[in-house]
Amino acid sequence: MSVQAVLAADQTTNEALQSPPRGFLAAADAALGARFISDGYVIQPVEDAALLERIRAAVTSQAARHLGIPESRPADTFLNTIHTKVGAAELNALRLAVHGAVNASPWLREAYFSLARRTIEALVGNELAMQRRVNLSIQLPGDDSSLLPVHTDVWSGDSPFEVVVWLPLVDCFRTKSMFLLPPVPDRAMSARLHEFADRSAEDLFRAIEPDVQWLDIRFGEVLVFAQSLMHGNRVNAEADTRWSLNCRFKSLFSPYADKRLGDFFEPITVRPATRIAMDYRLPGGFE
Amino acid sequence: MTSVLRGYRGYIGSRPVRGERTPQQVQNLVIRDYASRHGMAFKLSATEYAMPGCYMMLNAVIEELPTLDGVIVFSMFMLPSGETKRRRLYQDILGQGRELHAALENLSLRCVDDIGRFEDILRVNDFAATEMPRAR
Repeated sequence: MSVQAVLAADQTTNEALQSPPRGFLAAADAALGARFISDGYVIQPVEDAALLERIRAAVTSQAARHLGIPESRPADTFLNTIHTKVGAAELNALRLAVHGAVNASPWLREAYFSLARRTIEALVGNELAMQRRVNLSIQLPGDDSSLLPVHTDVWSGDSPFEVVVWLPLVDCFRTKSMFLLPPVPDRAMSARLHEFADRSAEDLFRAIEPDVQWLDIRFGEVLVFAQSLMHGNRVNAEADTRWSLNCRFKSLFSPYADKRLGDFFEPITVRPATRIAMDYRLPGGFE
Repeated sequence: MTSVLRGYRGYIGSRPVRGERTPQQVQNLVIRDYASRHGMAFKLSATEYAMPGCYMMLNAVIEELPTLDGVIVFSMFMLPSGETKRRRLYQDILGQGRELHAALENLSLRCVDDIGRFEDILRVNDFAATEMPRAR
């Protein structure tokens, strides 16, 4: 199928997706869902500002502790300018130390979920599995050692039923943020991805570059995006360091791929009817 | 956490776990790495027999618990598939003040409050489908 044919077909599909069947969804959920389907993402204000501050404070204090420097205020200045205190060579040790320490906090994952609970429930469902580790990304200005070439998570073993909840700890914009290929061009490029079989991820990025969208997200907002769409980052060409967290959520009983229950995902909101059902056994002894 | 005199007994298997076979030396590597990362003294693994539904070696490890700090299983999905048997196992371990660790999942069971977390994962897994997306 030619690219034009794919795009034409996608135009039709996309028009249909603009207003997917509402079913019995609440109007607000249906509207949010329609945005998610057409754009591949939504950006919402966090639902609990105090928890967001608590998470950022934990990250900041662990970073200061690892580097052996005072935790200067305000926190966003400390984080934005961390490249004045650490170089690319020491970055991974910093990332691992902070990642390990904040993930050891028993409150972190529930707090993280609370930042976007209503959005996740509207887009994914209310019986959920959550990734067991919250990932941390630190991207120093000009540093090419922490790049995520264009990819979809599904290509590396995630289920297309997962969404990523991406949380900036500083204002993120342009190359300090991440790019996403919107659904229509993503579908077109996916249809001809095999043409890149002997080429590189960089070639693929150059091919999609005119269509990618850089997502500007301020501290205090949260991004939820479909990780089955092509996305990634580039060298941070802005003046400040990017700090962001990300974590995956999926409907508890939707299919799992290589990232499975137990080692990667964990149930977080098992509902009573499910508990009853899992206990249920048909009466036996009739044979 | 670790008593020099006791240590944690590894537990590996020769049956597929969730439909996948992991070589025994790889199972041992995962357990050794887990023990090392958590500062636990690792004791040579017991290897379960291949017969489906057989837990004789696990039973032997449980009998050995008075001389151990606990057990590190390669994966929590090696535990008996029946919930009643699993709960008896948890009781045997916790009742003696010992611990159960699952290396692959990086999960531990140290008190009764941890049981629910183990069971939610194991029981939901019984009902949840695994399916890789198909190529176009």
